[in-house]
Order: sequence, then C-alpha cells, then structure tokens
Amino acid sequence: MFDFMIAGIEAPILLLVLTGMTVGMVGGFIGVGGGYMVTPALIVFGFPGYMAAGIDVTHIAGKSVVATIRHRQLGNIDWVLGLAMVGGTMMGVEMGVRLLNYTKDLGLSGVALLAASVAIMIGLFLYTQIETHRATKRITELAKEGKTVGRELKVSRIPIFFQSIALKPIIRCHTARLVVSMWVVVIVGIATGILAGFFGVGGGFIRVPALVYVVGTSTHIAVGTDLLEIVVSGGYGALRQYMSGNVDMIAVFFMIIGAMFGAQFGSIATSFVRGPAIRFILSYSLVLATVGAFLRLVYFLTGQQHTFINFFAVVFTLGEMIFLCLFILSLVWFSVRHRHGKWVPGWIPALVVVKE
Amino acid sequence: MMKSLLDSMLAYWILLLAVSLGVAALIYLIWLKDALI
Repeated sequence: MFDFMIAGIEAPILLLVLTGMTVGMVGGFIGVGGGYMVTPALIVFGFPGYMAAGIDVTHIAGKSVVATIRHRQLGNIDWVLGLAMVGGTMMGVEMGVRLLNYTKDLGLSGVALLAASVAIMIGLFLYTQIETHRATKRITELAKEGKTVGRELKVSRIPIFFQSIALKPIIRCHTARLVVSMWVVVIVGIATGILAGFFGVGGGFIRVPALVYVVGTSTHIAVGTDLLEIVVSGGYGALRQYMSGNVDMIAVFFMIIGAMFGAQFGSIATSFVRGPAIRFILSYSLVLATVGAFLRLVYFLTGQQHTFINFFAVVFTLGEMIFLCLFILSLVWFSVRHRHGKWVPGWIPALVVVKE
Repeated sequence: MMKSLLDSMLAYWILLLAVSLGVAALIYLIWLKDALI
C-alpha cells in the first residue's frame, strides 16, 4: 500500500502499474485512450471520482505519445487525415458539452442519458461484429481459392458513398491511400466529438469505427491516426485537469510506468494481425464496458445496499481489462505459431498476418 | 478435446472471459475486499 497524499487515500502500487500496463496494451492495439476502463478502475481502488478522471486523462496523454511514436514507426499514421479531423473533434467536444448542459436544463434524467450511451455502444458492437464476421468469412473463402489476402478486408459499402461526395476541398491522404472531401472528415470529427463531449469520454471507441466505416481508412491507419488525435485532446484535457488540481502526479507516474510497456506491446501487436482482429477486440471492449457500467448503475440505483452487486461490478471492471489483454496476447501467440506451421484454432488464420 | 474447444471462437471467448473474471475475483479478494467494505 502506498499513501497518495494529494488524493488522500492508500492504494496498492502494483495494481496501478498493472492497470496502466493492461489499458496501455488495449489502447495501443485498438487506438483508444481507455478512459471508460481506467476511471471506474481508479474509483474501485479508492480514488475520488474527480481525481480518477484527472489521473486518467493525464496518464492517457502520456501513454498516447508512446503509442503514437510506435505507430508512426509502423506507418500507421496519416498526418493529413489526423490534422484535418482534430479541429472538427475539438469543435464537436465543445458542442457536446453545451448540449449536455442544455439537456440538464431541460431536466432530462441521468438514466435517460445512460440509456442513450448504452444504445450507441450496443449498436456499434452489433454492427462491428456482423461486419467483421462477414469480412473473416470472405478472407477464408479467398484463401481457399488460393488468392492472396492483404492485412485489411472490409465488406461495408458505407465508405464508398462518403468517398463519392465531391465537395471541395478534396484531401489526398497518401498513407491511408484515400481521396475524400475535407468536409466529410471534419463532419465526422464534429459528430464523434459531440458524442464524446456529451457522454464525457475521450471518444476513441467512436472515432476508430467512424474512420473505418465512414471515412474508409484501414483499421491499422484508424488506430494510429486516432492515437495522434488523443495526444492533442488528451494533452489539453490533462492541462485543464492539472490546473483544476485534480491530478495526483505520483499515481500518474506509477500508471505511466506500466503503460509505457503496455502501449508499446499493444502497438507492435497490431503488426501481427489483420484489420478484422482489431475490430473484434474493439467490439468486445465496447460490450464489456457497457455491461460493467450497467452493473455499477444497478448498484447505485439499488441504494448501494447489495454488496454482491458491487462485487460483480468490481470483478467485471477489472476482468474486462484482463480479458482484452489475454485476447491480444493469445492472438500474437497464435500468429507466431501459425507462421511456424504449428496447429492453431480454425478461426485464427483469417485474423492474423502470415509473412511469406 | 482442448483443440476442439479452442476451434470455436465463441467457446474460446467464454473460456478466456471465465479465466479473466477468476483472476479479477482473486485480485478483489487479495487487495480490495477490506478497502471496499
């Protein structure tokens, strides 16, 4: 146990380091900050809510720098796309916060807002699952026909529609290999920013599917480019939280130690898998985070009297992070086995990259 | 038997989730139980 004097609590250092490492790995792999996992976990460890949010955003800013550098080395960042989108995102976040305050003034209940966020998460989960299952099926069919399959395959037709909008200025994203109207990118940034600001999250889990299914980038480029955005938005958020006195830098330091290793591993792990594997993990993280939030809501709505609900909520909050890490680790392990011609489960070859 | 179990993605998903929740329960019992009650 370590005495965090600024936060005014005692918490185990090892848990903070492990949390940083697991969320770093997941964030580096699916291109999210991971605030929807870290903040509840820090509250579980005993940090006050405002302090948990401050520590969370500060550690995300640091971790995203590490992951972004690694993704840049892997060629997964499209700077033109990222910089075009970041302006729209910042504008959208501001609009989302104002919209939230407006709905509060209208007297809309917190439960209604939570129901809306759950509906969005479940909708994203279902669409990603269905599309990714179709993509892996198509990869398996192409492999059986003896055709070479690259690291990305999508069956969604939505990007074709958005790329056909010829509203000037048109931007050419060389790394992402796409030509798209800047208005599409900015509006996607604003829309995902509004959702992020409205629901009080970073928004990576909305932006990555939006980049893939609306703008039409590959999943790897979406992950790298989104992390670049998180460096900007997370850095701004960290500065604001620090100025408000919501950050315990000692706790951030311990989390960053774990996150440095986790984020690097998660980023490198993307080079072992195809796009659908990243989209699978992203959809799992969405549904698990939703279940965790639902359990915590039930605990509070029932007057915090049923300790077994709290037990399930805590176990689920920690379990989802462990699950996602184990899944990423096992994908890398199966990928290496597959490259060496050893036995792997039947669903693995469609998800991993085999270097000739 | 293990190979046929792992051959189903859903079965692998459930197995991994069960292991993860078990580890999380252990962490709860070792570090957090006293702090939360």
